[in-house]
Amino acid sequence: MKQLTDLEYLRLSRFGKFLYKLKRFFLHSVPQAVINFFKRLWNVIKKFGLAIKNEAVDIWTTFRDGTWQTKVSYLIMGFGSIARGQILRGILFFLFEVVFIVYMIVAGGHWLSKFGTLGSEGMHMEYDEAKDVFVQVSGDDSFKLLLYGLLTILFIIAFIYTWRLNVKQNKLLDQITRSGKKVKSGKDDLKSLLDDQFHKTMLALPLTGIIVFTVIPIIFMVLVSFTNYDAAHDGYSNLFTWVGLDNFNELLSWNSGSSNLSAAFGEILAWTLMWAFFATFTNYFLGMLVAILINKKGIKLKKIWRGFLVLTIAIPQFVSLLYVSKMFSDNGLVNGFLMDMGWITQPIPFWTDPILARFTVIIVNIWIGIPYLMLIATGILMNIPQDLYESSRIDGANVWQQYTRITLPYMLFVTGPYLLTSFIGNINNFNVIYLLTGGGPNNPKLLTSGGSAGSTDLLITWLFNITTGAESNYKLAAVIGIMIFIVIAVLSVIVYNVMPSTRNEEDFQ
Amino acid sequence: MKKNAETLPQKRHMGMSTKGKISNTLIYILLVVIVIIWIIPFVFILLESFRCETQGMAGYVVPKQWGFDNYVRLLTQTDFLKWYGNTLLIAVVTAVLQTIIVLCMSYTLSRLRFKGRRFLMNFMLVLGMFPGFLTLIVLYKVLSGMGLTGPNAVPGLILVYCASSGMGYYVSKGYFDTIPKSLDEAARMDGATRFQVFRKVIMPLAKPIVIYTILSAFMAPWGDFIFARYIAHGSSAGYNVAVGLWSWTTKTSVGTQYTMFCAGGVLVALPITILFMILQRYYVEGVTGGAVKG
Amino acid sequence: MATVKLTNVKKVYDNNVVAVHDFNLDIADKEFVVFVGPSGCGKSTTLRMIAGLEEISDGTIEIDGEVVNDLQPKDRNIAMVFQNYALYPHLTVFENMAFSLRLKHVPQEEVYERVTKAAEILGITEYLLRKPRALSGGQRQRVAIGRAMVRDSKVFLMDEPLSNLDAKLRNAMRAEIILLRQKLDTTFIYVTHDQTEAMTLGDRIVIMKDGFIQQVGTPTEVFENPKNLFVAEFIGAPKMNIMEAQLLRKGPSDYCVVVNDAVMQIDINHCSRLEANNVQSGKITLGIRPEHVTICKEKAPNNMACRLEVNEMMGSELHLHVTDVNGDKLIVRTPTVDLTPEERAGFRNGAEIYITFHGKAMYFFDPETENSLID
Repeated sequence: MKQLTDLEYLRLSRFGKFLYKLKRFFLHSVPQAVINFFKRLWNVIKKFGLAIKNEAVDIWTTFRDGTWQTKVSYLIMGFGSIARGQILRGILFFLFEVVFIVYMIVAGGHWLSKFGTLGSEGMHMEYDEAKDVFVQVSGDDSFKLLLYGLLTILFIIAFIYTWRLNVKQNKLLDQITRSGKKVKSGKDDLKSLLDDQFHKTMLALPLTGIIVFTVIPIIFMVLVSFTNYDAAHDGYSNLFTWVGLDNFNELLSWNSGSSNLSAAFGEILAWTLMWAFFATFTNYFLGMLVAILINKKGIKLKKIWRGFLVLTIAIPQFVSLLYVSKMFSDNGLVNGFLMDMGWITQPIPFWTDPILARFTVIIVNIWIGIPYLMLIATGILMNIPQDLYESSRIDGANVWQQYTRITLPYMLFVTGPYLLTSFIGNINNFNVIYLLTGGGPNNPKLLTSGGSAGSTDLLITWLFNITTGAESNYKLAAVIGIMIFIVIAVLSVIVYNVMPSTRNEEDFQ
Repeated sequence: MKKNAETLPQKRHMGMSTKGKISNTLIYILLVVIVIIWIIPFVFILLESFRCETQGMAGYVVPKQWGFDNYVRLLTQTDFLKWYGNTLLIAVVTAVLQTIIVLCMSYTLSRLRFKGRRFLMNFMLVLGMFPGFLTLIVLYKVLSGMGLTGPNAVPGLILVYCASSGMGYYVSKGYFDTIPKSLDEAARMDGATRFQVFRKVIMPLAKPIVIYTILSAFMAPWGDFIFARYIAHGSSAGYNVAVGLWSWTTKTSVGTQYTMFCAGGVLVALPITILFMILQRYYVEGVTGGAVKG
Repeated sequence: MATVKLTNVKKVYDNNVVAVHDFNLDIADKEFVVFVGPSGCGKSTTLRMIAGLEEISDGTIEIDGEVVNDLQPKDRNIAMVFQNYALYPHLTVFENMAFSLRLKHVPQEEVYERVTKAAEILGITEYLLRKPRALSGGQRQRVAIGRAMVRDSKVFLMDEPLSNLDAKLRNAMRAEIILLRQKLDTTFIYVTHDQTEAMTLGDRIVIMKDGFIQQVGTPTEVFENPKNLFVAEFIGAPKMNIMEAQLLRKGPSDYCVVVNDAVMQIDINHCSRLEANNVQSGKITLGIRPEHVTICKEKAPNNMACRLEVNEMMGSELHLHVTDVNGDKLIVRTPTVDLTPEERAGFRNGAEIYITFHGKAMYFFDPETENSLID
C-alpha cells in the first residue's frame, strides 16, 4: 500500500486519516511485522549455522596449533589447565568428565536405549518357579523412561558444552603462555566471581531453579504431547508410547466425526479470548475512570477514597471470590434479597445460565480488578505534566476533550506493555473463573470424550480439570498448554511490533 | 512532587462555580456508592461469621443470634489451625527465598552487562508464555516420588513457589533501572568490585523494592489455589488456607460449614490487611512503577 | 604524576557502530588535556576507555608505561568526576568522600585527615554531615571533585563536570578548577562540549568529530591555525563566518581573493603558505572570524555590500547579523567605543553596509576535503 507523504496525510479529513491509519495497520504494519518476524527467524537460523561452523573450525585450529597439553586435553579434560597451574579448574573439568563417563556406563546408556520406545512391557504376571505361582512384576515405567531419557540427553548436551569450554580454556592458556603473561590462579578465578564474573554468582541460584523447575518440565510436557499418556496409558500398568502428531490432529481437525474435541477447543478458545479482552479493557477503562474521579480537582479526602479501594487488594482473592460466588448463587444473598423484596419470584440464574454466567464473571472481575487499576492509573495520572492541561484549557478544550486528547493517549502510551501482560494474565486467569463458577454451568456442546468443560471454562481451567479429573488426560493437557503458548506468542509478537513504547528498554533508563 | 499535584489545584479552586459544585457533589455520591459496593462483601462476611443460629447459607446478613461459635468451632474442631500454620510457614519461607532470588536476578539483568544477557531475557519472556500450571504435572510426579506431596505438601509447595521465582524479575528490574548507572561507575572508579557495588551502593538504595518484593511474596501463598490444591491432592494436612476454606464451599459441605468459611476468611484477611496497611506505601510504589516500566 | 599514552585505540560497539577510530595521543605528566567536540564525537567514550568503564576494542592504553587494557577500573588508580555528580545518596558528604579510602581499609585517622583537607580546599567543610540531596548543584559538584581528590590518584578524569550547572556557577567553577589543578599538580583529562571551557582550561585541546581526532594543539594553535573547516568553526564564539570565494593566483606567492564583487588582499605570510601548498586559482571556502570583519564607510573595490538584518547590542560591542547578495549570512563584531552616534544610528535593520576582511585573518579551505590551505 502506498505511503502518503506527511503533507498529503495532513490534507485528509479526520475520517480519512482514520481510514488511512487502519488500512496502513492491516495492509502494512501487520504484514511487515510478520515478514520481519520470519526474517529475524531466518537470521537467527543463519547465525546459528554460522556459529556451529565457526565452533568446528575453532576446535580444529585450536587442536592444530595447540601445545601438547592442549592436545591431551581433548581426551582428558582439564589436563591442560592442571599442567599450567590452574589446578582448581582442571580438577573440576576432570571430575565432570569422570562423572559423565561413569553415569553413561552405569545408567545413561540404559535410559537412552529405551527412550525410543518408552518401554516394552509394563506391569505383568510372571511365573515364579520356586513358588509355582504367577506373581505380579513391575516392568518398565514409561514416565521414568521419558524423564530419565530426557535428563540423560540434557546431560550429554551439558557435557559437550563443558568439553567445548575446556577446549576454549586451553586455547586461552596457549595464547597466554605464548605471549609470556602470567596464568590466572584459582584464587584469581574465585575473586573474579565477585567482580567481572559477578553475574555468574548472582544468576547461579535463580537460573538453576528455573532450569530444573520450569525449563525441564516444559520440555518434558512438550514431549508428552507426542505420546498417548493418559489414564488408560498410565505408564506403569499400561505403557504409553510415541504417537507422533496424533494429539494435535485430534484437537485441530475440523472434520471431526468421531470426537468433537476440536469443536470444544474452538469454543473454549473463543471464550478465553473474549474473556481476556473484556476482562482487560473493562478493568482498564473503569479503573482509569475511578482514578480520574478521585483525582479531580476539588475532590477532598482523596487518600480516604483511595485507601478504601486499596484495602480490598490486601484481602486474599480466594476469600472475596468464594464469598461473592456464594452471594450470587441461587440461594445466596442477592437472590434472597430480591425475592424478599418481591421483585422476582424465581432466583436469577447468575451461575447456571450459560450467557448470564459469562456476563457475571466479567462483572465480578471488574469488582476484583478496579482497585488495582485505580492504583496504577493514579500513579500515571499524577505524572502527566500539569502544564499540558493548562495549555489545553487556554486552547479551549473542555473536560471530555482533555480526556480524549491528553489523558487517554498518555495512558495508552505508558501502559501499553502493561495492557499486554494483563491480557496474557487474563488468558491464564485461573482463580477468578475456578473460584467463581468452577467452570460451570455445564455445556452439552463441550462434553467430549477427552475431558468435558463448562461454559465459563478457560483453556487454563480446562487444562486443570482434565489433569485432575478422572480422565487424567495428560497428553491433551500438554497439547492445550502448547496451544496457550502459541496464542500468547502470536499475540505478543504482533503487539510488540506495533506498539511504540515496547521497543527500547534503554529508553526508560 | 505528588503533594503539589494534589494540593495546589485545590487552593486555586477556592472560589468554585455552581456548576463545579454540582459536578463535585455528583462525584461524591458516585464515590460513596463505589466504596459501598467494594466494602460491602467484606462487611457481610464479617457479619455472617458471627451468626450462630444456622451454619449454612441464609438469605439475610445481620445475624439473629450473635456469638463466637463459628470461631470456636473453627479453632477447635477443624484443621484450620493446621492450614493456617502451613500457609504462614510457606509465606515466611517463600518471602525470604523469593526475595533473595528475585533480587539476584533483577539486579543482574538491570545493572550488569554480560554476554547472553539479551538472550536470557528473551528466553525468559518466551518461557513465561507457557502456562505455569503445565509444569506442575511433571513436578507433582517428581515431588510425590520424593514424598513432598499430600500431607507433606508444605516443603513441596515452597520449592515450587521459589524455584522459578526468578522469572518474576520485571518489577524490581524496573526499579533498579531507575538508579543512575553512573553510581555504579563512580563506585568502581573508587575501587569497589562489582560485589561491593551491589552491597554498599545499590542495596542501601533498594529498600522500597526489597519491601515490595517481600510483601508480594508473602501475600501470594495466602491466595494461591491451583498449585496448592494440586500438590496437597486431597490430603487435609497439606492444605493451605485457600484450599481448606474452598473445601467448605463445595456443594456437599456448604450447608453446614458456610459460616465457618466466613470466620476463616476473616481470620485470614485480618492480619494480611493490617500488614498491608502498614507497608502500603511500598506496595503502591512497586505496582505503579512496575506497570509503567512493563 | 603519570603519563597516559593511547595507541591506535578503537571502540566498536556490539551493534557495529564505531565510536572511536584509531585514536593516538601522548599525554605528558601533569598535563591538562581537554577532549572537546559535539555530542557523539567519541570524546566521552575515549575517556571511559581510559577509566576502564568501556572495553577497548583495539589498540592499547598505557598509564605510566603500563598497559592497562585488561585492568579493572579499581586497579588503574584513576579518579573520575561524573557529569551528574554520581554521589551516593545514602551516604553523608564525608562518607561519600571517604568511600574509596574505606574500601582500601585506610586507617580512620588518615581518612579523617585526607577528607577534611580536601573539604577545606573545596570549602565544603560545613556540609560534611549532610546528605547529597540537601546540597545545591554547585556544592554537589564540589563533593564529586572532593571524592576524586582524596584518592591521590595518578590521573584525574572529568566528564563534562560543569554542564549541569547554570551559566554563572559554571564560570565560577571553571576558575576553581584552574586553581585546583595548580594545587593538585597531577595529570588531568577533561571532556567537554563547550569550546570556552576547552580554551580556558586546557594545556592542549583534542578536537574530535565522528570518532576521529581533528586536531591536537594548544588553545592558541587551534584558534590561530585550525587544520580544517570543522575546527575553525568549532573554536571561537561567535563562530567563524564561512562563505564561498574565488582564489586568484596572480604570480608566485601573490594571491588575492574575490568575494562577490570585492577583491581583497591577502597577507604575505598567508600567500607564501598558499604557495608552499601549491594552491592554484579556483573556488575555495573562505573563513573569517566576526571580529576580523571591518565596516567601511563607503563602497570600494575591496569591500562588499550587505544588508543588516539584526543588530545585537552586547554592551562593549555590537554583533551585526548581515546578509550578502547571495543570501549568505555573516556576523560582524565591532567595538562600540569608537562609534559616533550617527554611525550607531546607521546600523538600523535593513540598512546597507559595506564590509571587508582583515588580510591577516582570512582562512582558506579546500571545498572538497575541507582541509586548511594555509596549514
